[in-house]
Amino acid sequence: MDQTEIDALTVKGAKPKAAKGEPVPSAPKPPAPGPDRGTGQVPPDDPQGHVISELDAVTAVTERETNKVMDQLDLISSLVGTQQALITGVMQHPGAQDPSVQAAINQVMSAGKDIQNKVYEAMDLMQFQDITRQKLERIVHHLRQIHDYIVELLGTGLKSDTERPSISRTIASTGTVPDEKRVHADSVVEEYKRSQSKD
Amino acid sequence: MKILIVDDSSTMRRIIINTLSRIGYTDVVEGEHGKAGLEKLRQGGVEMIITDWNMPEMDGLEFVQAVRAQNASIPILMVTTNAAKEDIVQALQAGVNNYVVKPFTPDTLKEKIESLLG
Repeated sequence: MDQTEIDALTVKGAKPKAAKGEPVPSAPKPPAPGPDRGTGQVPPDDPQGHVISELDAVTAVTERETNKVMDQLDLISSLVGTQQALITGVMQHPGAQDPSVQAAINQVMSAGKDIQNKVYEAMDLMQFQDITRQKLERIVHHLRQIHDYIVELLGTGLKSDTERPSISRTIASTGTVPDEKRVHADSVVEEYKRSQSKD
Repeated sequence: MKILIVDDSSTMRRIIINTLSRIGYTDVVEGEHGKAGLEKLRQGGVEMIITDWNMPEMDGLEFVQAVRAQNASIPILMVTTNAAKEDIVQALQAGVNNYVVKPFTPDTLKEKIESLLG
């Protein structure tokens, strides 16, 4: 998230605080839809600058930025591929047939493969973005519930806008280590399949 | 072998596509939710589906049920953050053939895909 986006969020999110003893101000207009997931910007017609909208914006920006990192990793991967092809060409050159030269070139090839594997590992680790996004969506869900409860309790203000239809109910227990839940999932699948084959 | 990937996270779709290309599957179509997935399926040629669960418009479970209503045999792998036993059972009852919990390693995805394709 760059400074312009942070500033935009801060301005949209700024809401005049009510002085002590003053009634809680009701929302002036129906809530606007959430932020554009592509840009991460809170829409300009969102008068409330909800924390909810800000969290939504954060997830949108992290998704976009993660894709930028993925673009760079793709580029590195492609450059390593080009390098490997060039080295293969060098290996076939008559002047590179000396065993010591061939050994050195093989070492360079091997280092290139290591880089490629590390690039793939880094790409796979980007799954954290999706998991973090879903964890934030769960928090947003709870915030909406608290918001709506308070609105109902005070009899003033508007309930929150429509929430995302499908939110993980169990994201809080989702791990961040790859394959952390694999044994558990596999055993449930096996158990289910066994029970089906018995029937 | 054309594989349909349905996930609302563009990052996750890229990761799955990347893993698939590393294991030799490069013919891939994408959908960002269940409705888009059904549309891609209607266009034909899809031989396997990898789908997320939590998505807007139409979630993975509804998507799987809709697919199964018209195609009983296409292999479906669900890749999701939902790890509770009751979720896994619900997905299997809806018609998924196997289940992967995020985050996963490429080896796990490869193994599940290969076992589904037999």
